[in-house]
Amino acid sequence: MQTVLNLLEVEPIRLLISFGAVLFLVLNLAAILTMAERKVSGYIQLRYGPNRVGPRGLLQPAADVFKLFTKENVSPGRSDLWVFLGAPIAMFIPAALVWLVVPFAPDAVVADLNVAILFFVAITSIGALGVVMAGYGSRSAFSLLGALRGAAQMISYEVPLILSLLGVVMLAGSLSLVDVVRAQGDTIWTWYFLPQLPMFITFYVSGIAEVKRVPFDLPEGESEIVGGFMIEYSGMTWALIQAAEFASMAVMSSITVTLFLGGWQPPLPFLDLGPFNWVWFGIKTALIMFTFQWIRWSVPRLRMDQLMDLGWKVLVPLTLVWLFVTAGLMLLFPSLGA
Amino acid sequence: MLGEERRAGHEGALTEPPSSRLVSPDIRDEFGLETIDMNMGPQHPAMHGLLRLILELDGETVVRCDPVMGYLHRCQEKIAENRMYPAVIPMTDRLDYFANMHNEHGYCLAVEDLLDVEIPPRAEYIRVLMCELMRLASHIPSIGFLMLELGAFTPILYAFRERERIQSIFEAVTGARMMFHYIRIGGVKADLPPDIPQKIWDYVESLEAHFKRDFVDLIEDNEIFISRTRNVGKMTQEQAVEMGVTGPALRCTGVDFDIRLDYPYSVYPELQFEVITDTAGDVEASYRVRIGECLQSIQIIKQCLEQMPEGEVLGDTGRRIRPAEGEGFGRIESPRGEFAVHVVSDGSDTPYRVHYRDPSFCNMQLLQEIVPGHYLPDIMPIMGLIDPVSGGWDK
Amino acid sequence: MALTLPEGDLQSRLERYLEGLDNRQGLEGSEIVDGVVRIVAKKDDVPAVLATARQTLGIPHLSFITVVDREGAFELTYELIDLRGATVRVKTTIEGDEPVIGTVTGVYPTANWHEREAYDMFGIAFAGHPDLRRTYMWQDHFDHHPLLKSFEISTKRTFEGLR
Repeated sequence: MQTVLNLLEVEPIRLLISFGAVLFLVLNLAAILTMAERKVSGYIQLRYGPNRVGPRGLLQPAADVFKLFTKENVSPGRSDLWVFLGAPIAMFIPAALVWLVVPFAPDAVVADLNVAILFFVAITSIGALGVVMAGYGSRSAFSLLGALRGAAQMISYEVPLILSLLGVVMLAGSLSLVDVVRAQGDTIWTWYFLPQLPMFITFYVSGIAEVKRVPFDLPEGESEIVGGFMIEYSGMTWALIQAAEFASMAVMSSITVTLFLGGWQPPLPFLDLGPFNWVWFGIKTALIMFTFQWIRWSVPRLRMDQLMDLGWKVLVPLTLVWLFVTAGLMLLFPSLGA
Repeated sequence: MLGEERRAGHEGALTEPPSSRLVSPDIRDEFGLETIDMNMGPQHPAMHGLLRLILELDGETVVRCDPVMGYLHRCQEKIAENRMYPAVIPMTDRLDYFANMHNEHGYCLAVEDLLDVEIPPRAEYIRVLMCELMRLASHIPSIGFLMLELGAFTPILYAFRERERIQSIFEAVTGARMMFHYIRIGGVKADLPPDIPQKIWDYVESLEAHFKRDFVDLIEDNEIFISRTRNVGKMTQEQAVEMGVTGPALRCTGVDFDIRLDYPYSVYPELQFEVITDTAGDVEASYRVRIGECLQSIQIIKQCLEQMPEGEVLGDTGRRIRPAEGEGFGRIESPRGEFAVHVVSDGSDTPYRVHYRDPSFCNMQLLQEIVPGHYLPDIMPIMGLIDPVSGGWDK
Repeated sequence: MALTLPEGDLQSRLERYLEGLDNRQGLEGSEIVDGVVRIVAKKDDVPAVLATARQTLGIPHLSFITVVDREGAFELTYELIDLRGATVRVKTTIEGDEPVIGTVTGVYPTANWHEREAYDMFGIAFAGHPDLRRTYMWQDHFDHHPLLKSFEISTKRTFEGLR
């Protein structure tokens, strides 16, 4: 027994096992999120969500997964098959890889990189590639439109995404996510969402845009281009795209929590759970994911030019101004920085 | 005028006219730009039915929009030539299936124009009551559909909850939830059940109480709704009347043409209500006009319930309806506009010719004129302005 | 710009329309019956009559164009509405089996689709129409015009002997 535990300390094995565990968590989370989405949307729309399969419908994801495994994977006749089939994989890999650096608890990080924020930014940028591959590989007019919109949107919203986390980097003095969490004090009013409120809002909004959810779901615009870049996918390929979308929604929520809401830290010191602080991390991430869903079922979607206007003309100047404000305040009050 | 004070200072997101976005074909040739021909096909979740739009796109800007209809054509006018006069009424139910009572009423008015039958006053009041309930049941879902196509999935479910309640009232009165076959030549089929007037009154009062909370508060000042619908599909009064547009789509430009007041029929001269207009002529204005019309319909329903006389409900048309040779015209205000019926009789049991002038068919010409220059996602709000129903344009 | 509708009360407007349209030669009949100005015109005069109605008299709205197949002739009815209670109904008859009539799309652009429907259902050719193609039926391989009386439906039934 002792040798097995000693083996877990050895570096490559520890990485593989913990990444395997995180990946298992992420795939299950994607399935559970489909269920949560349907129940939340149901209750907002004054109806029950699925409530037949299992007690109160809780086994619905199992039924969904079973159905999708047995469904035929149809591809359009003149599609470019390698690109078409590679696109869901190219969408899922970035969403899964970022989980390598997410800190669940003080010692529970798969890879405690000291350039974790840079890693996060770099890997999420690859997500745009998967969208373009899906749209190009499908060779149909609707998916082409969806892919172009998706690429433009994701690339445009990376700029405010990155700018908004620079304030946090300045305050924490480090690019490592573990250091950022430790640098936010252990009370709710010292977490970074208060001093960096415009940045928090920008990061949140850009996160919604990166994940392509309403109000930014024009690449998937259900009303005009019926599924956009994923219109030609069915069966397990579609399921992988959906899993990628939910996994990236979860990863955006968890990074938001890590950067702005104190990571694994409880709101007040006496609520500290010691080694079980990942419960706080889970609660906060679930709260942010719930707000993503709440917004989805409440507001209409923006049109493409309005979406671009919001990104470039509103969010980017806001973040630049606040960067200067943060830098200025740090010069004036040197105790602000770590 | 509605909405004037709200518009001050907020132009929405379309500040220049859509036609300025169209690139002329010579410039396109010079730079080697091409347009995409795309089909928003008959199978589409948001097309208000089976409509095929052949679009020519320059990037995201629509250059040409060509509606192709006929996917739901059921040859109603041909079949009506082979049915006896009362047997045509269930077919009119299926024309514009969100305004069944209005279609029946229009057809019955046309046939009563040929005959010389006296309609009892109670039947007239019941007809108006049913038509105004149907107007509520049509306008509220059309607001829901507008929001669904803009991407907000929730208001349509609130709207259908109201429609379900109205449909259960219809089921108690006529026996059917959707295809009623209730308004007959000479009156209505049967009297209202004794507890129905109280139920309608209670329902309408409760609707008036929570109407604003459900359909106005979350939508009217929503920033995204305003930027998606203000100045989109903007028409002038001249353009609208030239294209033959009637109904809320015309009233949202400022022309106050309402057949209930201008070409009165049934007991509308004895009822007090206003015509709701807005001056802007865009999608947001049509939304406001529909909201106002819902509230006016509630007032009309209350007046009908108060003023309804006792009496019979079906006039004496004789055993067989066999009008003399001639023509009959009926014109009513359906939730979509002017619905007119032209019946030609040759003295036999079946009509010689029945023609329906359906408002959805005539309002669809807007798509060809207004859409070029707008972006692709704007087509959906413009369809929400026109609010066509595929049974109507296809007959 | 705001639309200007014709002035005056109903009776005076009806008489003004009758007088304005009656000044043409070749009209075969005109009268006011029940608040409707009925005009019967020759088929070649119809575009001109409607042009007078639109431009001189200011009647803004063409409600519908109806066609009745009288087995040997086609009877067209154009109904014009002035949005304030007055109606002008112009009737014309086209003889023969190959009906051709001038279009009124230049005067009332809404007639575009009404004339397309008349072409589709009856085969009436509108000379000068910008885009005359079928509305409901298939564009390519359907040469019939369904609402003609000669286009029999297979389930036609008679009502003899029914009480």
